[in-house]
Amino acid sequence: MTEKEQLEILEEWLMLHKGLIFKVIRAYTPADHDDLFQEIIIQVWHSIPTFRQEASVTTWLYRIALNTAIKWTKKEKKHAGAGPLDNIQHLLQENKTAMDERLAWLYDEIYKLDEIDRSVTLLLLEGYSYKEMSAMLGISESNVGVKINRIKKLLIAKSKKYDNHGIR
Amino acid sequence: MEFDEIKKIWDAQNNQPLYVLDEQALHHRIQSKKKGVLRYANISEWGLIIVNLFAAGVLISLNAFTHAANVFMYIEAAWMFATVVYVAAHRSRRVSSSRRFDRSIHGDLDHAISVATYHVRLARIMNWNLLPLGAIMIFSGWEAGKLLKVAAVILVSYALAFYVGIKGNRVNVRRRRELQVLKEKLEAGA
Repeated sequence: MTEKEQLEILEEWLMLHKGLIFKVIRAYTPADHDDLFQEIIIQVWHSIPTFRQEASVTTWLYRIALNTAIKWTKKEKKHAGAGPLDNIQHLLQENKTAMDERLAWLYDEIYKLDEIDRSVTLLLLEGYSYKEMSAMLGISESNVGVKINRIKKLLIAKSKKYDNHGIR
Repeated sequence: MEFDEIKKIWDAQNNQPLYVLDEQALHHRIQSKKKGVLRYANISEWGLIIVNLFAAGVLISLNAFTHAANVFMYIEAAWMFATVVYVAAHRSRRVSSSRRFDRSIHGDLDHAISVATYHVRLARIMNWNLLPLGAIMIFSGWEAGKLLKVAAVILVSYALAFYVGIKGNRVNVRRRRELQVLKEKLEAGA
């Protein structure tokens, strides 16, 4: 595969599926969106020659984005307190006007979960099956089931508190 | 809220853009690119004016002090002065035309593309300008009776300058192409 072909694929994937990447970024970091976006794009770029079309593009991208986000979060925790590496000004910013309050709440709740549970929640909300989640995250289907049960209960309980406090 | 409702909240975001273009950051980037192309165009213009003036002065002085009365050297010097006038006139036109562009994102981008296009054209013309200059210098050497030695040196130096000019102009062409691609993307997204 030539570099030009690789770039064309990357541009096409970004055009069609960048919303998916933004969801992962929003769930994994409240602030450094640009850094994580950059990191995911680099990983997606490297992964293109190994994409064999055995999985759908969205599944492939979710797998890469989630794994990158998990690694990135761990690395960030380790280096917490260190200054930013550069001051590159990026061109994307969160569309705050379009963000529904309840959606913002949901993202906040997802962010409070641990790294693996965040991935499970995102994939659950995106409608992936236990089998697909298990393959993407490298955990057993039964483990996925246990996590989903727990996450659903937790989100429902938190949503009740949210409703009762009249934030809506 | 039941989980189905939470899922509906989640799904609703698919109809809205999660991220928008940071117009201020984009504008800063375009302004910085514009500054870059203006700086390179300025350097080229002043470089051409100074080098041609200096070279023409040297040629006239040599001719006068050595009493060579070599007509080709005067022609060469006149050609160089004409080049200086040409560059200065075009520079002046370029600077005055910059008022056409407003300070919006599109205005700055159009200005940057206009300067980059001007720079590419100027560099091409100046590159081809080396051919008559080289030819006149060879005739000058011929008249002075030093054809072989002088012609060889002149040919090598002008060929080198021509090659460097062509290579250098590729950077200008690439810079202009980047700006045009950015404009196409902005227009497609508008």
